[in-house]
Amino acid sequence: MRILLVEDEPVLAQQINTVLVTEGYAVDIADDGIAAEALGVSQPYDTIVLDMGLPGRDGMQVLKNWRAAGMRAPVLILSARDGWTERVDGLDAGADDYLIKPFHMPELSARLRAMIRRKSEQASPVFERDDVVFDSRINQVMVAGQGISLTAQEMAVLSYLFHHAGRLVSRTELSQHIYHHDGARESNTIAVFINRLRKKLGDSLIDTVRGRGYMIKAPE
Amino acid sequence: MTSLRGRAVIGGILWAAVTILLGFAGLQSFVDQGAEERFDELLLTRLSQVVTAVENVAATNPEAIAGAVGDPVFMRSMSGLYWQVENELGQVFRSASLDDHVLPRPRLLVDAAPNDRFLGPMGDPVRAMSRYLTLDGGSLWHVQVAKSIRGLQQELAQLREIMLTAFTFVIVIGVVGALLQVTVALRPIEKLRRDVQQRWTSEGGLDHGKYPEEVAPLVYDIDTLLTRNREIVQQSRKQAADLGHAIKTPAAIMRNELDALARAGQPVGEAIAALDRLDAQLKRAFGRMRAQTGIAALPAVTEMDRSLGRMVCAFGDMAAQRNLTLTADYPPGQRLRMDPTDLEEVLGNLLDNALKWASTAIRLTAIPQAGGVTITIEDDGPGIPPDQIALAMGSGQRLDIAKPGTGLGLSITADLLQAYGSALLLDQSADLGGLRARFHLQSVQAQG
Repeated sequence: MRILLVEDEPVLAQQINTVLVTEGYAVDIADDGIAAEALGVSQPYDTIVLDMGLPGRDGMQVLKNWRAAGMRAPVLILSARDGWTERVDGLDAGADDYLIKPFHMPELSARLRAMIRRKSEQASPVFERDDVVFDSRINQVMVAGQGISLTAQEMAVLSYLFHHAGRLVSRTELSQHIYHHDGARESNTIAVFINRLRKKLGDSLIDTVRGRGYMIKAPE
Repeated sequence: MTSLRGRAVIGGILWAAVTILLGFAGLQSFVDQGAEERFDELLLTRLSQVVTAVENVAATNPEAIAGAVGDPVFMRSMSGLYWQVENELGQVFRSASLDDHVLPRPRLLVDAAPNDRFLGPMGDPVRAMSRYLTLDGGSLWHVQVAKSIRGLQQELAQLREIMLTAFTFVIVIGVVGALLQVTVALRPIEKLRRDVQQRWTSEGGLDHGKYPEEVAPLVYDIDTLLTRNREIVQQSRKQAADLGHAIKTPAAIMRNELDALARAGQPVGEAIAALDRLDAQLKRAFGRMRAQTGIAALPAVTEMDRSLGRMVCAFGDMAAQRNLTLTADYPPGQRLRMDPTDLEEVLGNLLDNALKWASTAIRLTAIPQAGGVTITIEDDGPGIPPDQIALAMGSGQRLDIAKPGTGLGLSITADLLQAYGSALLLDQSADLGGLRARFHLQSVQAQG
């Protein structure tokens, strides 16, 4: 999953980035409103964390411009502005959630996961197919009750496919959602991650449609 | 007395009363004096008439005096006009109008002023004039005429009555005029009061050019004061917001570091607790600052449907995500005497509280009553026991630490409402069974 983090305070941005990367997200950071707006409309983010008080362009205006341009990624506003008027203004402008500073990092993580699930129309944070169970809250994978160790990128591929179960996902799309903006993207490495996942989780979980992409079947 | 209108009206009436009374007394005196002078002139003419008759016939034939006077009014019995002539021998001759009565006898040879006011033959007061007369033969005669003043008194009483009616009319006209004058004179003050009242609910300033030159400087000063007040409040709020932002971001950084250390097993519990207290203290301080400046924030008027609509829409989505039902019933067109952000803060805190505690349903209603609107937010949660309601309203009191929050929402809400002269009432919802939170806000009339 790929996240745009818009925060002008570098220490806080780095703290959030560290936690999100640890949880398997590919994170792009923008520290001003203009750069944030450009990234938001040009990159396919799965979710966005947006500060309000930004240099260059106010976060509220950035959000309005995104929505006017048709950007549909869920947006969580992370702001020190704690009045209900500002919160409702943010939600009315197209935000999906609002978290007030100071905040607890686990709460931010949980809200981001919930937004991603809602966008993917997945009700539960725990995904099950046959004997494979993926708990997105703690990034834990079990096969027949046994814990399986996955690398961060294997986890990112598996998470994206589970969140879009029932839909064919191309290598390009996968690479766009598991690498951050400056990351080295080679679509061949996607095939490598898929092969590793099959070895660890079994051949039947991920279907390959040659030349088009991959798919985890929808729950019955 | 603190009423300008009262002072002006009572002062005007008192001054008018004194003026009118003095005028009435002066005019009455003038009229009385004039009437008496005319009476005396007439009486003097009568005296001259009798004196002439005495001079003509008294020396030779005193009995012929009556014929010589000749005026029929002296012949008619008790006509009110009399004459009486007396010589030094004590012989008395009198008009037929006296019948058998006698006018007071003169005190001959006594150098004293004759009595000129006494009761006449009919018991009515008369005024008399007399003179001593020495005829050619050397005989001394006293000639006296008297006339009843009842007619004069009646005439004066009639005049007084007419004057009294006229002056009463003048008093009524004067009082009505004074009231009208005061009303017109105080109209700029009334307009100033309305304009200042309206200025609380609009962005516009006071136009001192529309006031009389005596009031214009005061209007200018008030406008300057209000503008300065508005600027101070807005600057204070902005500074508070900036300060909040400046503190909260570093606080977020500290919290994340401490949380990371805690996850790594470091003993940072006390530091986290201190940071929690710092956050709560800041929230409380900003809440109070907001409440203290709320009533002075401009424009302090809210289109109720807009604010309620926004909050219901936002909280409706949040309620739906938690499988709760939020229903709302409020009339359109109400304008409330409260800053929109403050009303939304109150509604947000109460709805957020209901969202945390409701089992299935939250209901918001707004009912116009008593010159304002009563807004009620109810839920079907566990509610608050009556003996703990005061505790719940206290700053930072959390009745159940299992629910997220600082416990400051109800306290800040109560402070904000108090700043607008309202109050937060908490009790049990009659039909939903959970907490019922109510408050009443004054309406603002639409500007015409």
